[in-house]
Amino acid sequence: MQSRFRKGTLWAAAALSGGMLLAGCGTTTSAPASGPAKTKSPTAEISIGTLYASTGSFATSSMPEYQGLQFWINQVNASGGTYVKAAGKKEKIRLVSYNDQSSAQTATSLYNQLITVNHVNMLVADFGSVLTSVAVPIAQEHKQLLFDQSGTGTTFFTPNNPYIVLTSLPTSALWPTSLANYLISQHYKNVAIVYCENDFDQSQDQTLTRLLAKAGITPTYNNAVPTSTSSYTVILHNMAATHPQAVIELGYPNNDISFMQALQASGSTFPTTFTIFPGQLPSLFEKNFGMKGLNNMFTYPAPPLFTVQGVNYGMPIAQFAQAFKKQTGSSPNFLNVAGYNTGLILQKTLATATSLSQKSLRQAVTGFSGSITTLDGKFQINNQGAQIGETLPVGQFTVSNGKLKVNFMS
Amino acid sequence: MRRNKLSNAIILVVLAVLFILAPLLYPNQSVPFQMMAFMTLAQGVNLLYGFTGYLPFGYVGFFGSGAYGVSILVLLLHWSVIPAVIGGGLFAVVVALLLSPLLRLSGAYFSIGSLAASEIVYYVVSNPNMQNITQGPYGVNLAGIYDPNTSYYAMLVILLIFTAVVMYVKNSTFGMSLLAIKEDPVSAAMAGINVVRRRVAIWLASAFAAGLVGAVYGWYVSVFYPSSVFDLTISIFAIVFTLFGGGGTVLGPIVGTIVLYGLYNTIGVSSPQYFQLIYGLLIVVLVMFLPQGLTSLLKRRGINVP
Repeated sequence: MQSRFRKGTLWAAAALSGGMLLAGCGTTTSAPASGPAKTKSPTAEISIGTLYASTGSFATSSMPEYQGLQFWINQVNASGGTYVKAAGKKEKIRLVSYNDQSSAQTATSLYNQLITVNHVNMLVADFGSVLTSVAVPIAQEHKQLLFDQSGTGTTFFTPNNPYIVLTSLPTSALWPTSLANYLISQHYKNVAIVYCENDFDQSQDQTLTRLLAKAGITPTYNNAVPTSTSSYTVILHNMAATHPQAVIELGYPNNDISFMQALQASGSTFPTTFTIFPGQLPSLFEKNFGMKGLNNMFTYPAPPLFTVQGVNYGMPIAQFAQAFKKQTGSSPNFLNVAGYNTGLILQKTLATATSLSQKSLRQAVTGFSGSITTLDGKFQINNQGAQIGETLPVGQFTVSNGKLKVNFMS
Repeated sequence: MRRNKLSNAIILVVLAVLFILAPLLYPNQSVPFQMMAFMTLAQGVNLLYGFTGYLPFGYVGFFGSGAYGVSILVLLLHWSVIPAVIGGGLFAVVVALLLSPLLRLSGAYFSIGSLAASEIVYYVVSNPNMQNITQGPYGVNLAGIYDPNTSYYAMLVILLIFTAVVMYVKNSTFGMSLLAIKEDPVSAAMAGINVVRRRVAIWLASAFAAGLVGAVYGWYVSVFYPSSVFDLTISIFAIVFTLFGGGGTVLGPIVGTIVLYGLYNTIGVSSPQYFQLIYGLLIVVLVMFLPQGLTSLLKRRGINVP
């Protein structure tokens, strides 16, 4: 009996040790997207570490952004590398990437992995605020500059954290400026707003209502719904009951689709109906609603739906669209542009920084902030690293000669 | 009894040594940290499920309450970290106390009821009208108290405490009474056991475990959103790790977490499609052939599993 007892305890100890070994080994051998992870080697190549989500709730946004970054790396490597001022020569880029499966818990381990085990030269965040949030303190703790692609969370940018730079989107609080200006210019008095309970949408609602209030407009309907909302029928009827001149829905792509489905089913029409994502993911919305469904819808059009003028760094949108289609076989959307734009910011940073230290990289970004315009817009950050150069215009979809077009309102 | 004590002591020492050495041997501290977090959550589920049969699908509600508890105490009331972490655990206990009428349900009804309750807590926390208290959907930034090293060892202490609690419950008359209630509550009540009080006690202890883990997790990551600390996968992982190892034992949740979390880190990140397939197959095989968990293999051979 006693030997059996000891056997059980020994077995337990062995299982513990073996399992710990398995857990540790597992992470080291997680295959990066392009070859096994190596330690930092400043003169051989530049390693860029990032995460992507191939499954889960962020997959539809994360993957296109990741493809955009991959596209940039392929372009750079095909041309013999990117110029690295610190080395005084061109160097190739090696991508080290892991799949976080849209889980913030997994992302925490993997960002740590990229910094402490893979020792990447440059760290790029996954899509959106939730998957970027966990990277912010880790990067700050390790004094590693975080290139935040699209995490526009208001809590990320603080005066005492120099280790973050937002590359491809303005902070969400800036987004509705053009929308507010448009509504005010139309002299609307009855505006109905529904927004989702998340950082991205609520900060937009706050900015929008603040700007409207300055113009003496108080929304007749302004309510939050859970981000998981998939049925807007009752909400839409409640909004319609206030006889709004403009109906604004602020959500993620899934919310926009659900809202537009409810709108179509109800047959309701309003002088102005606005949703965020048709302008950024037009093919997704066209697939769901057809051109007719998008006709007259207001949105924030983003490249490639419009062409940024005065591009002085990287490919302009037409050239990018052609090259992207040639390489991937599909037409780019805004998130592809965002990923590629991140690559351009990395490229400019490497071309400007006098050393590969993270402080030097950050100084380089501050140095060229405001001086470059890419296909995504003007790159300019404030002293907290938040992107303030890009603006999002308001546009309206129209169907003309069987083609979907955007008329710009601001 | 003496053998039990020796065996328990060995488990605690091995756990302590492994997790103290882990960050020295492997630089990515997050891996052992999260393993400890899930191991403690699995022990929390074990306290409830292993000894009473209640399977809490909404266990993440306590985890999230702990994370938000610590943020409220630090940001609003300016408490220092350690009291705030303990306070975070107590937040979860208060939530559990409010939800204790759920224990009137049983089986699948309780599981679904607890899931719905955790969703309610989530929506209350993320409600924009709660912005002055919880920051609503904006997420929390605890950068001022960020300290990954201290929070790592705090998690280790919590793991050891709750592993010891499970050891105590397993070998005490209190644990025996819980098992009696699990088998037949009517007979247990007839034998003089206060069924309601004991069920509520273990429910609160289980919630306290999740609350403390959530509080330390919030401290460790320092920036989080309601959706990340009320993520249902946290419940699922804790439950699956417990079931895989074997509920009602000290070792089951530990083994379950090490094997499955190890597997997750091995193939789950690089090849999630295979991981989900393998994970699914493992669970199907387990339910069909080892419903009492992996440790039942040893029990069948007459080996005593702590």
